[in-house]
Amino acid sequence: MNTDAIIVTGLYNTQEETLAAVEKIQEKGFEVTEVHSPIPSNALARALGRKKSRIGWFTLTGGLIGFFSGFALAVFTSTRWNLIVSGKPILSWIPFFVIAFEFTILFAVLGNVLGIVTQVGLPDPNYEKNYDPECSGSLYGIEVASTPEDADSLRDLLHRTGSLKKQRETK
Amino acid sequence: MSQLTFETINTTVLDTLSRPGKAYWCIIALLFCGVIMGASCWAYQIFVGVGVAGMNTPVHWGTYLINFVFWVGIAHSGTLISAILFLFRAGWRNPIARAAETMTVFAVCIAGLFPFIHLGRVWLVFYMLPLPNQRTLWPNFQSPLIFDVIAISTYLTVSSLFWYTGLLPDLAIIRDRSQGVRKKIFKVLSLGWSGRTGQWMNYSRAYLLFAGLATPLVISVHSVVSWDFALSVIPGWHTTIFAPYFVAGAIHSGLAMVLTLSIPLRKMLKYEALITMDVLESIAKTIVFTGIIVGFSYATELFIAWYSHNSIEMETFWWRAFGHYAPEYWIMVICNTVIPLLYLSKKIRTHVIPLFIISIFVNIGMWYERFVIIAGSVAHDFLPNAWGHYRPTWVEGGIMVGAFCLFFFLFLLFVKHLPSVSMTEMKEMIHKTE
Repeated sequence: MNTDAIIVTGLYNTQEETLAAVEKIQEKGFEVTEVHSPIPSNALARALGRKKSRIGWFTLTGGLIGFFSGFALAVFTSTRWNLIVSGKPILSWIPFFVIAFEFTILFAVLGNVLGIVTQVGLPDPNYEKNYDPECSGSLYGIEVASTPEDADSLRDLLHRTGSLKKQRETK
Repeated sequence: MSQLTFETINTTVLDTLSRPGKAYWCIIALLFCGVIMGASCWAYQIFVGVGVAGMNTPVHWGTYLINFVFWVGIAHSGTLISAILFLFRAGWRNPIARAAETMTVFAVCIAGLFPFIHLGRVWLVFYMLPLPNQRTLWPNFQSPLIFDVIAISTYLTVSSLFWYTGLLPDLAIIRDRSQGVRKKIFKVLSLGWSGRTGQWMNYSRAYLLFAGLATPLVISVHSVVSWDFALSVIPGWHTTIFAPYFVAGAIHSGLAMVLTLSIPLRKMLKYEALITMDVLESIAKTIVFTGIIVGFSYATELFIAWYSHNSIEMETFWWRAFGHYAPEYWIMVICNTVIPLLYLSKKIRTHVIPLFIISIFVNIGMWYERFVIIAGSVAHDFLPNAWGHYRPTWVEGGIMVGAFCLFFFLFLLFVKHLPSVSMTEMKEMIHKTE
């Protein structure tokens, strides 16, 4: 994106209007940098060419770490007191599996949270840049990058695609 | 549902966060007094000793552990509604999912208090944690009681994180419509959520994985709770049916509690357009289903005792039905399996008053189920000369009432300070049906 570029945000009422507008804006050669929406939409993610989420890898890694650390904790602590009680073996694999299972879920969830923090980009102290507060409630906002020279034609295009009158501009 | 729009959903839910009236604060104050009373009873027990409770030979597991199992059970249907029904794409869960998840978090916190209370010398609670003591003795990971510590703490962590993750987009809505200090607070709480496409994509995947992980967890947690009993050799406890029996019972009691909470919530916060009669009816139908499973479990227990020809098992179950705790047993059977069948009538399950009253009966029945299983089994085990009865004392009663007050106190604070219906999930639902 050009460093002199300005960002114009167009606001739309529905997801269908937003999708149609994204297509038209891209056809005219403008770069749609982001779309803000009140609900998730796979169609919008596809239209913007977003890559598949990688959060699952964080979750899987967390789960594997949890499984082995649960087993390791149970084995390690049992071998600290190496005395057979009631004929039970020092290393009882079936009870230890319960511990390993709970640790698998716990660490998988912690991995998932780490995935949210890194992949979703939270916390985001600069969220207000280019963001219209209407987008959390009911409207869809399309952020489009443009050079200062093309800004007028972009505003016109947004208007023609059904953008509500309110358009935000930021550098 | 068809007349709902994104804006009306926002308005309906955000209106509930307006400044509450005097009646609300009076109820909050009353419940707070109940909490203080429960805390005072616990303090009295700590100073005088655990002997002030009614637990004595042969019944050393009394109301504290009955309440522990009861509250863990209540917690479970929150996860059923928020995670399992989410995976099954059951649309009717959306209006009640947030309240049910919140119920889960508070119920697990309260459940977690009871083992502390039961310990007596609560300052030794760290013995349950995986820490070595002065003789390098670690917790015994072969013990179901330690399974329980790990399972419940995992459940509390997972359900709290799941609840907070679900709240994020709604917290952003409140942030964007607030001013002053409130805006600052919600700015921090919403972590800068801005609904970017990339955010939603990763968030949706994370939420799905949360639901996928919470589902086996919830089944494992109540199975582990059941093994606290089933892995012993006490007659009435030592059966393989316990894990599914406890899971079904947990969902049964939790769904009843969801109805108990949703019906007044719907009236108080004017949620009739969101929590429709169809939603309440769906919960009632599910209660009929879980009630039948619970009834089948009761019958299976009796069958196992008879078919085994084990005289001690047979005596235990005969005594349950016709012995000292027979009234409690029949309250359990009637409230959990017979009364919910009234929901088979469309007339009953589409009127809030009978819906509410029956849900209270199920709650009572499920509390008595835990009483019958826990106190009833140890009171009458192998040796007739060791048989005895258990009667809770006023200290146990006070702590139990305090726990109920704490639950409703926290829930009432929640409904006036955070969105009690998920605005985002409601919008997704109406978007799909449009």
